[in-house]
Amino acid sequence: MSSSFGARGAGVPWRTTPSLRPPPVTRWCAPGRKRRRGPAGSGNKMAAPGRRLCLVAALLLLLVGAQALAPSHHLTARDLARLRAALERPFTDLQAAYYSIVGLHSLGLRVADEKAACNFVKSHVDSSSVDSLFYAAQSIRVLSGCEVTISNETRELLLAAVSEDSSITQIFHAVGALSSFGLPLASQEALSALTARLSKEENVLATIQALETASYLSQQADLSGIVEEIEDLVARLDDLGGVYLQFEEGIETTALFAAAAYKLSDHVGTEPAMKEEQIIQLMNAIFSKKNFETLSEAFSVACAAGSLSHNRYHLPVVIVPDGPAAVSHHQPVLRLQVTNVMSKPLTQASVKLDYAKSASTKATVLQQTAFTLSGEVFELNFMNVKPASGYYDFSISVDGDNRFIANRVELKVKVSTEVGITNVDLSTVDKDQSIAPKTTRVAYPAKAKGSFTADSHQNFALSFQLIDVNSGADLIPHQTFVRLHNQKTGQEVVFVAEPDSKNVYKFELDTSERKTEFDSASGTYTLYLIIGDATLENPILWNVADVVIKFPEEDVPSTVQSKNLFVPKPEIKHLFREPEKRPPTVVSNTFTALILSPLLLLLILWIKIGANISNFSFAPSTIVFHMGHAAMLGLMYVYWTQLNMFQTLKYLAILGGVTFLAGNRMLAQKAVKRTH
Amino acid sequence: AAGSVGSVVRRFLAEYGSGTSSRLKVLDAYLLYVMLTGALQFGYCLGVGTFPFNSFLSGFISAVGSFILGVCLRIQINPQNKGEFQGISPERAFADFLFANTILHL
Repeated sequence: MSSSFGARGAGVPWRTTPSLRPPPVTRWCAPGRKRRRGPAGSGNKMAAPGRRLCLVAALLLLLVGAQALAPSHHLTARDLARLRAALERPFTDLQAAYYSIVGLHSLGLRVADEKAACNFVKSHVDSSSVDSLFYAAQSIRVLSGCEVTISNETRELLLAAVSEDSSITQIFHAVGALSSFGLPLASQEALSALTARLSKEENVLATIQALETASYLSQQADLSGIVEEIEDLVARLDDLGGVYLQFEEGIETTALFAAAAYKLSDHVGTEPAMKEEQIIQLMNAIFSKKNFETLSEAFSVACAAGSLSHNRYHLPVVIVPDGPAAVSHHQPVLRLQVTNVMSKPLTQASVKLDYAKSASTKATVLQQTAFTLSGEVFELNFMNVKPASGYYDFSISVDGDNRFIANRVELKVKVSTEVGITNVDLSTVDKDQSIAPKTTRVAYPAKAKGSFTADSHQNFALSFQLIDVNSGADLIPHQTFVRLHNQKTGQEVVFVAEPDSKNVYKFELDTSERKTEFDSASGTYTLYLIIGDATLENPILWNVADVVIKFPEEDVPSTVQSKNLFVPKPEIKHLFREPEKRPPTVVSNTFTALILSPLLLLLILWIKIGANISNFSFAPSTIVFHMGHAAMLGLMYVYWTQLNMFQTLKYLAILGGVTFLAGNRMLAQKAVKRTH
Repeated sequence: AAGSVGSVVRRFLAEYGSGTSSRLKVLDAYLLYVMLTGALQFGYCLGVGTFPFNSFLSGFISAVGSFILGVCLRIQINPQNKGEFQGISPERAFADFLFANTILHL
């Protein structure tokens, strides 16, 4: 909760464009309690330390309060035209007609053809639907010369809709329709139905509609419970970076809330419980939407604009310079547009300059001066005080109505002037100091006659002074460059001329020192003087003279190649993994034959020793054993070529089992035979 | 010295020829074969390079393993060692030999 206070307290400099809404979301300093319908004054459920923190934070805000938040969005004339175009679409159904008619009325505009609109409404109203009756009623009330008679059934229908069993929307529409048709309405019953319903429907839109409904009820009823809802809703607004305040449901809901809150407050006669900063943040959020996708969105913004321009308590003021915020001798007057949120000029207001300080020296140049009204614009001739060129911080306040809020702004104003170059001396200075320097004076914008030479014996020097043409004071602009351009090769080198303590600019060209910049390219160079600054109205590019530069060593490099950085690099060829070196096939084959030779040897030896199978008995177990064993060897081969281990193990288990049993038998028989 | 080595070898061979049963001689021939095969493989690897290293490994280890199992069988079969292998008849030793070989070559 305390995270965003620092950012808010520091204030947002005027004219920032928050294109990206910062992510942090905080709830305004209020209990995060759930709304309870219960006896008023049951107190706050917020914990004590939280409340203390809130007070400290509020105190901090007050201290830093001088830097208040300035409105960043409002309905400019173009936005107003766009909004009007969005609302002036031809009617598709009764609800669209309602949005258009009532929306335009909120903006202070009228529908193009009121008679046609009236007929449309009358022909499209559905007497059995409360919503339809509401739209028709509101539209008819706004259109001039539009009358309609209400039948008794319709009246009964509307009165029946005002009960605890209907939704808040139904109650709102019924009450609104009854009130706009001029039919009698039992306010107390309506209020109790509303209150009962509010405890069940706790969403934001329902609460807003409850506020609107209450604004139709008689003031005899105790509407304070509903008025408290405004405060609760303010607590539910999301703070986006200290600049915007809106509901998570969107801009439309926020705009409807603003309209409803002021409507109810005006009706009841109590100031809405919103701080100045919150109102400005609401304003920023609502008017940040410049394109309206749906008619209901356009309607909601129009209602909000209307209520923020005409209510009894808070009128946000928008102060915008007319054109760029800059003055000069040609244009000495600073013009301001002071309007309300709908860009309607507040010609009754009195606009005053609190102070104007130089941005660099912080010296106050002017204070407590009033702006004069000229047409719809407020003017002040700032050049009367003969300010030096540069930037100034203006603090402007608007008074005249104690409903004004956001009526103090800080503005950055630029004062520009013209620069003049004087005392321009070009000279060639001998290095040995044996010959006196030859100086030529040139006047802007002429070019010096003859050319100057700079070589190993002499340097070229340039000196000049810059003054403000209007005031005669010395100027130190941001850009004072000396540019030398080689006529043949197109090469150019730029140097900076620096002022000395007496504000005289000096530039000296020593050929031995500056060899590298020039790439030792001798030749004729044209010398230009470039003077520029944000506060200068006449930046200067002046061809002063031609300078012939000779470099000592004549090792002229090849003509300067423009370093082209964007040539394709050599292609990288993928190197496949080289196959390993193999021995020649002959060797491998020889070895294979060689390997088989021990087998031969074995057979020979066995024969020699006299191994035989004469003892072979043809008992079944023997045969089975030998077959099984042969099969196992065969399986090994198949394993090598085709199978994987699991399959092999499976077959092996079977074969092995059989072979084992047979072998066991056979060997047992053999053992028995042996022991006999 | 050369003469004594030669005479030792000759005597050994004579003793061997007469003293060992033919069964053992058959087994010995097998062992000799396996050893030669292994040695030849190793020599090839040293000489020509380990190119199909997997092949070399499998062949060599197979040779070595077979040799070891053969030696075990010979020890177990030799009647002179009967005292140390009380519960194991030659048949049993042979069966073990077959089984172990199967597992090795799996």
